[in-house]
Amino acid sequence: MRYYLARRVLQALVVLVLVSLGGFTVLHLAPGGPAAIYAMSPTMSAEDMERLTHQLGLDQPLHLQYFKWAAGLATANWGRSYRDGRVVLEVITDRIPATVVLMLSAFSVAVLIGLATGIVSAVRQYSLFDHAMTLTAMIALSIPTFWLGLMGIYVFAELLRVLPPGNIGTIGAPFALGDRLRHLLLPASTLGVVMVATWSRYTRASMLEVIGEDYIRTALAKGVSRGAIVLKHALKNALIPLVTLAGLQLPLVFSGALVTETIFTWPGMGRLFVDSIGYRDYPVLMGILMFTAMLVVAGNLAADLVYAAIDPRVRHS
Amino acid sequence: MTHISRREMLVLLAGSGAAAAVGPLLESGAALAQTPKKGGQVVVALSQEPTVFNPLRPHIEVDRGVHFGIFDSLWRTDERAQFVPNLAVEVPSVKNGGIQKNGLEYTVRLKKGVTWHDGKPFTSRDVKFTWDLVMNPKFGAYTRVGFDAIAGMETPDESTVRVRLREPFAPFLTAWGDAYIVPAHILESAADPNTAEFNTKSPVGTGPFKFASRVAGDHLVLGANPAYHGGAPPLERIIFKYIPDLTVLYTQFKTGAVDVTGLQGISAEFYAEAKNLPGVTIHLHHSPSVEYIYFNHGKPWFKERAVRQALYHAMDKRAIIDQVYYGVQKPVEGYLPSTSWAYNADLPTHEYNPEKARQILDEAGWKPGADGIRAKGGVRLSFTNSTTAGNKLREQAQALVQQNWRAVGVDVQISNMPAAVIWGEYYVKSKFDTLMVGIQASVGDDPDCLNRIHSKYIAAETGSGRNVSQYKNPQVDKLLEEGVREVDRAKRRALYLKLQEALRADLAYLPIFSYVRLEGVKQGMLNYKPNSNVLHNTWNMHEWGWKA
Amino acid sequence: MSARFTRHRPAVVSVTLIVLLGLGALFAGRLSPRDPVYIDLSHKFAAPFTKGHPLGADELGRDVLSRLLHAGRISLSVGLAAMVVTVVVGAVLGSIAGYVQGVVDTLVLRLTDAMLSFPPIFMLLVLAAFIRPSLASMTVIISVTSWMDVTRMVRGQILTLREREFVVGARALGATAARILVRHLFPNTVGIIAVAATLAVARAILLESYISFLGYGIQPPLASWGNMLNNAQSYFATAPWVAIFPGVMITLAVTSFNFVGDGLRDALDPRHARARA
Repeated sequence: MRYYLARRVLQALVVLVLVSLGGFTVLHLAPGGPAAIYAMSPTMSAEDMERLTHQLGLDQPLHLQYFKWAAGLATANWGRSYRDGRVVLEVITDRIPATVVLMLSAFSVAVLIGLATGIVSAVRQYSLFDHAMTLTAMIALSIPTFWLGLMGIYVFAELLRVLPPGNIGTIGAPFALGDRLRHLLLPASTLGVVMVATWSRYTRASMLEVIGEDYIRTALAKGVSRGAIVLKHALKNALIPLVTLAGLQLPLVFSGALVTETIFTWPGMGRLFVDSIGYRDYPVLMGILMFTAMLVVAGNLAADLVYAAIDPRVRHS
Repeated sequence: MTHISRREMLVLLAGSGAAAAVGPLLESGAALAQTPKKGGQVVVALSQEPTVFNPLRPHIEVDRGVHFGIFDSLWRTDERAQFVPNLAVEVPSVKNGGIQKNGLEYTVRLKKGVTWHDGKPFTSRDVKFTWDLVMNPKFGAYTRVGFDAIAGMETPDESTVRVRLREPFAPFLTAWGDAYIVPAHILESAADPNTAEFNTKSPVGTGPFKFASRVAGDHLVLGANPAYHGGAPPLERIIFKYIPDLTVLYTQFKTGAVDVTGLQGISAEFYAEAKNLPGVTIHLHHSPSVEYIYFNHGKPWFKERAVRQALYHAMDKRAIIDQVYYGVQKPVEGYLPSTSWAYNADLPTHEYNPEKARQILDEAGWKPGADGIRAKGGVRLSFTNSTTAGNKLREQAQALVQQNWRAVGVDVQISNMPAAVIWGEYYVKSKFDTLMVGIQASVGDDPDCLNRIHSKYIAAETGSGRNVSQYKNPQVDKLLEEGVREVDRAKRRALYLKLQEALRADLAYLPIFSYVRLEGVKQGMLNYKPNSNVLHNTWNMHEWGWKA
Repeated sequence: MSARFTRHRPAVVSVTLIVLLGLGALFAGRLSPRDPVYIDLSHKFAAPFTKGHPLGADELGRDVLSRLLHAGRISLSVGLAAMVVTVVVGAVLGSIAGYVQGVVDTLVLRLTDAMLSFPPIFMLLVLAAFIRPSLASMTVIISVTSWMDVTRMVRGQILTLREREFVVGARALGATAARILVRHLFPNTVGIIAVAATLAVARAILLESYISFLGYGIQPPLASWGNMLNNAQSYFATAPWVAIFPGVMITLAVTSFNFVGDGLRDALDPRHARARA
């Protein structure tokens, strides 16, 4: 087990190095640059632009820039934002709470609804409910999130005027939980729809597979009540593969959050990423890429280790 | 309702260019101004997020909007294009002895008793420090324009600054009107002024508002400075709210969550609805930017004036302004907005006439080929037009121009790019064919545009300057050189009128309109004064307040 | 197998829909009432069924139905082209990794992991912001962020196949690696590749709409379903047809491809079918 752990950690590190190399190269080789956002200012001269590029170190050879940045990364110095000169780690951590609140609320609601509908679908396979859920889930997985969000704003904020069209809370008002929840509802639902669909479908599949197993059939034959079987035996076993789903969904959830945050003016990391692309703020962009990559790699690693602990065969494959 | 239309009338008139008539009208408007009550807050919505609070560091326009509140300059330019003293006791002039030696030396007397937000006194040392910092090679300063014209600066006493220029530089006052003074006692002791907390977290100025708090990605709060040297501001606080999407921004203004729509204001497509909204005033603000079709004179198609003329005649300017921009923008023929003191109102007016365009091209020998596209000597009139991807209304105007030009046998391919790509080398090093672009040619209210049009300033050739269209015209060069040396405003004006005439006759670029921004302000908010001479209409927030 | 597919009713309906969408795109020129890029400002925001616009006109008076049909051409082409590139890259990498194993396999796997640890939209935005947007570049960047799933699936399949009797037999008879791959292994992965391909089309259409919505995709005046929506929020109140129809088209197309993929999977794997149906 210790050997397996060491190997997996090493692999994870290789992945992170690849991510950083790829991201860095793509960003820096691309046309344009951070000084371009000042180009249209009437007070800016060509000399000023050149001086700024030089001061940012962008005229150095690319590999030197990379090594400098990577060395910083290893010592928890992720550089400074080109836009405002703040420390990158701080720029990112400032935005984490908003994203986490949005993601967690969408996630928890999605898991609850997804599990419930998935179980009912599995137990009542081929019922009208099951068919309806399959269709709904499929459509939910296929609707562009941004369009769903925009329709939501149009219907609930503009036509019915029951929910705010965006923002984390009423502007300029002191903190109030009710106010925050009202603002959370629309973006969280938008983000949650895709997740509900995914969870519902996976739960159903997982449940059906377990229900088909021999021990459940035996229990049924022995006359154990159906409800008890579903909840006590089947669900317990069906949940195991679902746990890994949570880890694997992470990058997708981040993507959804990016679009949702853009539409609902939510001050999270996704919005920061979009803004930073506009400013060509390489250090912040690299910071966000590395941050999410680390989360994903750690999530996968954890899932693998849990699996290895449960199933010894994995370690040797 | 009547209130709205009256305000609109005023602002419209202010932009109509009849300089003589404007003064008294605006003054009567000013006379109507009421004194706002004490207290209250104003929410200003911005479509980009202000994050740079050191006014000398590289920043964008929305940052400047916040600087106006926290910092002061020596003098500023008001809505009537007049310099008004701020940290200086008076604006230097030849008459008051502030400008000596034919514009080579300026003496500035500073107000006494001004304090920084931390209570420390403001002195001439801070002014000198500000100049030193900008010129410090280790400091990442935004721009050195107006700073590098200075040969030396002396501070004979705490409230006097004497400036020697390298050579006469007429836009000096304008440049320093936009230069904000930073505290020597804080930044001097900073380990690295580039990364000081002052720049992003704890700016300290002499301005009417103090930096209070910020929620990254969402909003920031400025609180009133009761000890302000210009008198305590009426408002208790100002909130700058970041709303990236202009439609959402407008929606929130409509619902009353936002009091002022800043900078990009209200998108033209909402004009019809916005002007009928109850409880708000819509200001038509004339910004100094002009929208053009910019040619790259280094490319083969635009060498001939006939081609440029034909393209101008073939372009339906009226439709762009009325249909795409909902009639909000104002047609111009030169590079200055009609509000400028150097604006030439007598330039020939554009005529949309595709038939004439065809005729001009025929006569110049550009004959349609089998595909209907004209060519001459192996050169086909087929080129690209580029602008920032995602600028919706501009992209619509572009599509219209494409169709217009196609009708006279000119083929345009649209090739738009993200801002950070197009305004980088592609623009600066003149790699484009044509652009659709909004440009503010002059600094502040000064009509000087030497480094944008003079043939010496072609960055693609010399690596310096901003004449990205690679335009060369000896007559224009001469006028530009004279204009920047002349200190007398009346004589300067004559030079710039002639310059505009020359540019219009040669059609160095195709002017479309000068930008009129729609700015929404909730009714009851007093002293909101759109000002074409500054980057941002938060310039006078020390006067803002609510009706008693 | 085909019988099992036809029993999957949503999949059958979806195939019909896809065929219709495809025909619409193919014959867009003939079906369109007007030139999709022709600007007629006097028809600005004409409502559906007025001035000869069955689905209304947009902000420049262009016919929405004509634009939808032509946009379908763009969106479906991007979807199909990206699918082809995705599947080819994924299948080649997957088979090589699965068959050769060793260092090559490790390398491919780590690369796959690295790519999978970028959230797809982040990756797309980074790439799209830096490349001049065109049909080809859209296809490439969507493929770049999509090949990993196919690679993993094909690799897994090859891994289990390579030790089967017929492969071991061929090897014993002296067949070259390339021959074994092409003649024996590859044909057995066609099923899962077919499934992956349909899902890849769905994904590509969806991703194209995201990038175009964020302003980095297919550029006007060329219409795609995605970029027809990128100013949509301004028009919900005044001209909802401009904002609603393209969204409906995207949802229809993507749902259909997803259902077909689902149906194919069930048809190929009866056990799976029992579990998922």
